[in-house]
Amino acid sequence: MIRLTKVELRRLVSRRLTAVGLVGLFLITILLLVATYFDARPLSAVEQQQAQQQYEMAHKDWVDHAEEMRTQCEADWKTQPDPKPKLEEMCVYSEPKPEDFGKPPTVFAQIMPDLLQGSSYFLAFAAFLIGASFLGAEFSSGAIGNWLTFEPRRLRVYGSKLLAAATGFVPIAAVVLAVILFGTFLIVDKLGDTASTTGKVWSDLSAIGGRAVVTSALAAALGSVVGLLLRHTAAAIGVVMAYLVLAEGVFAAFLEKAQPWLIKLNFDAFVRHDAQYYVTECKTGSDGSYACDYVQKTLSFEHGAWYLAIFTVVVVLLGGWVFHRRDVN
Amino acid sequence: MSDVAISTRGLRKTYRTRRGRKVVAVQGLDLEVPAGGVHGFLGPNGSGKTTSIRMLLGLIRADAGTMTVFGRPVPAQLPEVVGRIGAIVESPKFFPAFTGQKNLELLAEAIGAPRARVGEVLEQTSLGERGKDRFRSYSLGMKQRLAIAATLLKEPDLLIFDEPTNGLDPAGIREIRETMRGLGEQGKTVLVSSHILAEVEQVADTVSIIGHGRLLASGTVAEVIGGGTAPTVKVAVNNHEAATRVLTAAGMTVRADGNYLLVEGAPDPADVTRRLAHQELYVSELTPVRADLESVFLELTEGEGL
Ligand SMILES: Nc1ncnc2c1ncn2[C@@H]1O[C@H](COP(=O)(O)OP(=O)(O)OP(=O)(O)O)[C@@H](O)[C@H]1O
Ligand SMILES: [Mg+2]
Repeated sequence: MIRLTKVELRRLVSRRLTAVGLVGLFLITILLLVATYFDARPLSAVEQQQAQQQYEMAHKDWVDHAEEMRTQCEADWKTQPDPKPKLEEMCVYSEPKPEDFGKPPTVFAQIMPDLLQGSSYFLAFAAFLIGASFLGAEFSSGAIGNWLTFEPRRLRVYGSKLLAAATGFVPIAAVVLAVILFGTFLIVDKLGDTASTTGKVWSDLSAIGGRAVVTSALAAALGSVVGLLLRHTAAAIGVVMAYLVLAEGVFAAFLEKAQPWLIKLNFDAFVRHDAQYYVTECKTGSDGSYACDYVQKTLSFEHGAWYLAIFTVVVVLLGGWVFHRRDVN
Repeated sequence: MSDVAISTRGLRKTYRTRRGRKVVAVQGLDLEVPAGGVHGFLGPNGSGKTTSIRMLLGLIRADAGTMTVFGRPVPAQLPEVVGRIGAIVESPKFFPAFTGQKNLELLAEAIGAPRARVGEVLEQTSLGERGKDRFRSYSLGMKQRLAIAATLLKEPDLLIFDEPTNGLDPAGIREIRETMRGLGEQGKTVLVSSHILAEVEQVADTVSIIGHGRLLASGTVAEVIGGGTAPTVKVAVNNHEAATRVLTAAGMTVRADGNYLLVEGAPDPADVTRRLAHQELYVSELTPVRADLESVFLELTEGEGL
């Protein structure tokens, strides 16, 4: 099994699609860092001056008119029908502050989790693609038949292929995430604010990164199984795209309550350690009025982790069962 | 080594087509391939040769029946004997984007064969430098050579070739024939399925003929030819009608064949001349028709094809 896995790993790294995938990942990584650089870049002197001027104007306006406007507002408030909004909510005219004008500095600890999460999506996608083609090509070319005349123990063959796809993607994902993490740190350190990056922040970020490596490996294994089941790379990609659009997109929009059972949210909950989602809750009040609220809910990390684990195990077992029984022509 | 390389009993396989129709590809096949030498596995298109070979190799499941290879039940104990079997089923299939050499290296590593073996088998099959080209760019003959090279990685005792000469030119066909002959002479067992009977007749020590997934005949080439048809003679005589009457009356079977008559069931060719001469019918030409595998095959498998 170890020998077979090594052979499969060698095949994986020799494949052209793997190389193309790596180049793609490299380009996306560069692109992401460049985008971060432009986002974090402070305003130019001219822009800063403009922001300063705007602040001064707004401040002057506030000094001149705030009192007058508040009086006006209070008068208006008295004429409001019941139930009245709170006075202190309706009539706030706070003093403009300089930092409200121009661009706030980029804070590393704030942007990094989102960046890692975004990276986990494209890594999972690349891993799925590479995994699907790793097995899809073997079936569509018929090379699997020849392979089985050398090693007829199908479950070993199956296991070695999945293991190779999954472990092969671990270093790739780890490197990509590390480059994004440290690249962003260097950029923000130069242009923005990294002072708040405590040990806790670092350990949270590396935990997110570590879990993104895990999801990439899972995606590679799942891609392999789907490639095996459908026997063609293109078919595997098509089915997953259709699923993402129909189930995760359309279905989730109509049936908000189903979100905790869809892959995307569980994926997020696992990678981000809890994830938020929104459902519309409508109630008929005691007075017969009908009102809808947009309520935020949380899906727990544990839910996401169990969901992904069970989902992977089920799919892998299904693939193994099918491959074990399948006639290879 | 047991003296039977392959044996199957009551082997059966039914395919289900896309439209749900059932196709019985192999029905109760009893096959026995002696160890050592070349065994021809003959049958018309669609008679179940490839299906039987796939079942032996564990690529597809049999619905019923038992199989053994070198005395081991397969597919249950296939892993124990697979190292002794080299097989090419239908057209050779490898990873198209990898070079021939890379393909062989992966296979060699999978079975724990030394890497140096790859160079050796490439040389043996005269692929040599072409081993560095992608499999996709190979001609049919080169693909076939690569497949043979792959089977040689294992140094097998049993070689299974499913129509190895399909699509090859005469030189290629001869080469494969010589390879098979050579392997047979080394004491290895070669099972070769083919349509080209003249081909098989030249190399095979023993043959099995199947039709509709059932065994029709088997044995040495001589036994199969001898047992299949009575000796036939081809006769030229001027009065066909009279001659036919005379010979039929003597219990022989007569068929017209252009300007000749084909006479079967004569104990001796001299018998034919004597009986005709008695009636003043004089034979101008008489040739014994040598029975060959092809005629036996056609006779046995008449109406068995697709
Ligand atoms: N995958 C399949 N699905 C359905 N039917 C099949 C399949 N493979 C083979 N068959 C059918 O099984 C029968 C036997 O096919 P098989 O390929 O074993 O014949 P063969 O003797 O190898 O023929 P040939 O000489 O043409 O190669 C045929 O009727 C064929 O149509
Ligand atoms: Mg065939």
